[in-house]
Amino acid sequence: MTAIWFRILAQFRRDRRTLALLFVIPLVILSLLYFLLRGSGGKPNVDLVNEDQGPVGSVIAQALQRGDKLSLHDTSLSTAQADVNAGRVDAYIHFPSDFSERALSAHVVQPEVRLEGSQPSASGTVVSALAQAMQAALSAAPGAAPFTVDVRVSYLHGGPGFDTLDYFGAAFIGLVVFFLVFVVTSVSFLRERSQGTLERLMASPLRRGEIVVGYMLGFATVAFVQSVEVILFSLYVLKIHNSGSVALIFLISLLMAMSAVNLGIFLSMFARTEFQAVQFIPLVIVPQVLLSGIVFPIETEPNWLQLISKVLPLTYAVSGLRDVMIKGADLGWASVQLDLGVVLGFTVLLVAAAAATLRRRVA
Amino acid sequence: MAEEYAIEVEGVVKTFGRLRALDGVSLRVRAGEVYGLLGPNGSGKTTLIRSLVGLVKPDAGTVTVLGRRMPDVGILNRIGYMTQAAALYPDLSVEENVRFFAAINGTEDNVDAALDFVELGARRRSAVVELSGGMRTRASLACALVNRPRLLLLDEPTVGVDPQLRRQLWDRFRAMADQGTTILVSSHVMDEAERTQRLGLILFGKLLAEGTAQELIARAGVQRLEDAFLKLSEVQP
Repeated sequence: MTAIWFRILAQFRRDRRTLALLFVIPLVILSLLYFLLRGSGGKPNVDLVNEDQGPVGSVIAQALQRGDKLSLHDTSLSTAQADVNAGRVDAYIHFPSDFSERALSAHVVQPEVRLEGSQPSASGTVVSALAQAMQAALSAAPGAAPFTVDVRVSYLHGGPGFDTLDYFGAAFIGLVVFFLVFVVTSVSFLRERSQGTLERLMASPLRRGEIVVGYMLGFATVAFVQSVEVILFSLYVLKIHNSGSVALIFLISLLMAMSAVNLGIFLSMFARTEFQAVQFIPLVIVPQVLLSGIVFPIETEPNWLQLISKVLPLTYAVSGLRDVMIKGADLGWASVQLDLGVVLGFTVLLVAAAAATLRRRVA
Repeated sequence: MAEEYAIEVEGVVKTFGRLRALDGVSLRVRAGEVYGLLGPNGSGKTTLIRSLVGLVKPDAGTVTVLGRRMPDVGILNRIGYMTQAAALYPDLSVEENVRFFAAINGTEDNVDAALDFVELGARRRSAVVELSGGMRTRASLACALVNRPRLLLLDEPTVGVDPQLRRQLWDRFRAMADQGTTILVSSHVMDEAERTQRLGLILFGKLLAEGTAQELIARAGVQRLEDAFLKLSEVQP
């Protein structure tokens, strides 16, 4: 028994990389979470349009400020509408000019809320913060008769039935395909080396590029079928919200799968055993899950983390998938073109990197 | 167009970190010859063979194979390389493995002949993972010669192979040599070395002696090749 105990410790001592991973990775992940959650914080950005000619609007506005749940900017209705349409803010709250008058005469409080709608959590925060502020403001009004509160909510994207699954679903389609294809490729390419067949391939008339591209085609075929399955299941069984083109969703996830294949080949060059290849999973996947905007919107990250987020391929796939599925974007959108371009660029870059490392192993 | 030499190695040096795996090796193998590379484990045999297929780039010296300066991808379809361990895809059948390596070289018409040559025609549909060790070795050989190589490189082909099968394999190597294939075979097994036409004794990355088995025995002044091997190895550390 002690023999096993000491043997395991001896093996760890030899395998420096595993040791480093065991002790460094948890700190990195926890620090990332720290910066993501303790950072500037996830207060939704909201434009406040107060056209009220009476006092009620500003009383509620003050209550909203005190509530400190939202990051508020006073502006005009036209600017606010433009901000929401461009996705610069999560919502605008509008008190119309007859707001006070109707509150005092008809006892109806009727603010207007226009939600950008692609982030259900932000939408929820905006609506509940407004409700709290109105509650606080109105209960403080002396001797007032009971008010009828009627918040008129409208959505740019999604709708009231749009939930967290719809928000995460789009991103997870990209993640699931990327993750599984990466794992399968890196392990199977490593097996090619450990069983000696790679040596044989290298001593064959095949060129390095042909080996890499051949591999990519093989796994891309499997990834193709997997993407079809994942997308059909998400859209038609789980009924995840989609207002865009299915073909475009498919294109993005397929490109993602291709870059995963090449990343798998590239990284498997740095592993000697399947055990070490598996260790790349937390290294590659976890930071991408945390930093690609799947869970935490990139705009809420500290600036230096945003820089990292912007060089991760998954960031662009996630943003592309969300634009298409939630906002109904098509190929005409500049943001979708950028996302597709960057994912394609990563794929090409990784093919080159994989071919280059294959060559280096030989020298 | 027969070059006189299938293999010409001139002053090849290769170091891995502080280890000098090849320390100025020069040797020549005539076309159609069966040449044995004899040496203990770790003497540099495998590094030398890998340099012949361009997988090792020498730090100094030149390697010329079938008239081409290596590394040269263009000549690799004329070379058959059987690695030390049977390098096969375990999930695929014997035939699928052989067909894959045939496809890479564009010689799919030779699959049946290669399978018959190693007498695995009857087991062609079996997955490699179900085969015995000896059958795997034969399947691996079939993959190495399915491209009708003019030069066959065999890295310890009969390690872990029983005496009957070893004899069978050698009969096949002979048959190929008779048809004009040059064969370079590495080994540390003496009875095997005695079957070759010429032997090179390699130790610590250096070629210590070269000649027929008889010549080496005579040079060492002993009775058996094994003793010659041990005696000639004592020359330097």
